[in-house]
Amino acid sequence: MNLDLEGITLQEQKELERNVLTTTVEQVKAWARSNSVWPLTFGLACCAIEMMGAAAPHYDLDRFGTILRASPRHADLIIVAGTVTKKMAPHLRRLYDQMPEPKWVISMGSCATAGGPYVKSYSVVKGVDQIVPVDVYIPGCPPNPAALIYGINKLREKIRYEARTGKKVMNL
Amino acid sequence: MLGLFKGLGVTLKTMTKKKVTYKYPNEPFKMPERFRGIQYFDPELCIVCNQCVRVCPTDCITLTGRSHPDPSKRGKIIDTYDINFETCILCDLCTEVCPTEAILMTQNFELAAYSRDELYKDLKWLHENDTNIRGGS
Repeated sequence: MNLDLEGITLQEQKELERNVLTTTVEQVKAWARSNSVWPLTFGLACCAIEMMGAAAPHYDLDRFGTILRASPRHADLIIVAGTVTKKMAPHLRRLYDQMPEPKWVISMGSCATAGGPYVKSYSVVKGVDQIVPVDVYIPGCPPNPAALIYGINKLREKIRYEARTGKKVMNL
Repeated sequence: MLGLFKGLGVTLKTMTKKKVTYKYPNEPFKMPERFRGIQYFDPELCIVCNQCVRVCPTDCITLTGRSHPDPSKRGKIIDTYDINFETCILCDLCTEVCPTEAILMTQNFELAAYSRDELYKDLKWLHENDTNIRGGS
């Protein structure tokens, strides 16, 4: 789509720049999505307590439009908080598959990221990225609610960045 | 009907109180004094005794050292010092066991990353991480 801007004067052009907001549909979508990331709680261990704490009044995740949901059908983000055992792994995959597109994953805590203290265990999955594609890793054992907020803000930044540049981020 | 006014009473009472929510992303968050974040490492103080590697419950620390370049001096100096922060559980044992306090905990918690490779911290990163160091243990 091309706008015919040939015939306008400099003054009109300046007026246009001041009054007309130009953007792409992708960026508007990313703006909307990044301001209402609804996470599916997937609390498995002590990280779940910190996740609940982040949603409570002192940290208040609702400030960022991040409202915890208990159903995968409502959610576009899954926060894997805690130790994923090999028995739990198929259920995690199933819940992830039930989420509508677009969807993102946050791996919260050492256990979900790489096995953490159970790194030598026979029954623990060494990182949820073996099961679902993870967007943001939050280390810590468990991460402070403020660290979780930092991670969620980093994910929102990633959503907007990907819409703006049209490419996947690995490192910002 | 009474319940409605009771609820409204709570609302009105809470309205004038001071807000409890931290303004975290807009203002920096002050951690409690004893909060443990990622480690700080000082290569000058390290004597390559290997105790932190042995005590680490998740084996996330690896280090190598070499003998002192000046042959008249005894002891070793550090070559590489890596913490695989994916599995670090911030248990503080490396700090407690260190005889020279070369490794200390800081209160930095903003560590979220887009890839697991970023969580592999080397000597340079750990030495530059010199803010909010936790005083003593």
